[in-house]
Amino acid sequence: MSERFIRAISTDEIAPGGMKAVELDGNEIVICNSGGKYYALQQRCGHMNAPLDMGTLDGIYLTCPMHCAQFDITNGEVLSGPVPSDIGHEIPPPFLGKYLQNIEMMMKHVRTESIRTYATKLEAGWVQIKL
Amino acid sequence: MSQSLVNIESRKKSMHYFFEKVVGPSGFKFTPDEEMMNFLLEQEVKLEGKHGIPFCPCQPLRNDRVRDMQIVCPCIPFHRKHFDDIKRCWCGLFVHKDVIDPDKLPQLPPKEVNNE
Amino acid sequence: MKKITVYTLSTCPWCRKTKNFFNEHKIQFTYIDYDLADEPTQKRISQELDAVGANGFPYVKINDEVIVGYQPERYSKALGI
Repeated sequence: MSERFIRAISTDEIAPGGMKAVELDGNEIVICNSGGKYYALQQRCGHMNAPLDMGTLDGIYLTCPMHCAQFDITNGEVLSGPVPSDIGHEIPPPFLGKYLQNIEMMMKHVRTESIRTYATKLEAGWVQIKL
Repeated sequence: MSQSLVNIESRKKSMHYFFEKVVGPSGFKFTPDEEMMNFLLEQEVKLEGKHGIPFCPCQPLRNDRVRDMQIVCPCIPFHRKHFDDIKRCWCGLFVHKDVIDPDKLPQLPPKEVNNE
Repeated sequence: MKKITVYTLSTCPWCRKTKNFFNEHKIQFTYIDYDLADEPTQKRISQELDAVGANGFPYVKINDEVIVGYQPERYSKALGI
């Protein structure tokens, strides 16, 4: 399968600071407009696969909405992992507490990976992505 | 097990980007002492790798969520009067915007600050 | 001879300067890095800090005098040097 650029979205679909998710040939991709420059990344967070397009973009930094892992959109590099939900020895209500503690315990073993990026180019008002 | 495998320099850079925006409106900036700034940011990246949160490298964790949240960097809002009085935050990562020589700012605890 | 106890954090540059101060003046002191200590020790130190209203490190005790923050002039004065 040869590499090729394919049309994803038009350049007026995302304002600077915005993001949009697209699926191209089975690839789930989030396109980011950072100050007029376009970047394309794997849509799924390197932590637990949450949709990054539902997060926040600030400059070149993308924060996941689920647990706040952060990525550099220029190279997909993970910058920080999830924010822990509990940093003390609080005693939560019994049933819910045990459930949340169990999840927290399992999540401690999840590593946040850097994410895949895709090359982009602009042509005639279209953002094209290289698959 | 926690996220301690991030690239330290990359995380320092993004921390600098976000923190600058947060402390500016309070009248603070990063210390002009670049060596100190780099050292402290690096400590915070490591603390973040260990705890999941970038705590102040110079204040104690108390194992009490309410108290510990008050030393998450930038912790200026929780110590505003104290830090405004000494023109710096406790660890010295941030100083008042008009500070040119941070070495001249003594590290005084709240009780010892002159209230004129 | 004065008894000098210092509580510090391994992550704090001012604590490092404090230790250097005593080393350079060839003054004997003991120190505990709070962040590297076991839980009972941390609890004890935390309580001691609260008892005197200390906000952070470095925390220096020269006999009965407590000095919070890196303050080399006060160390000198307390030591009479």
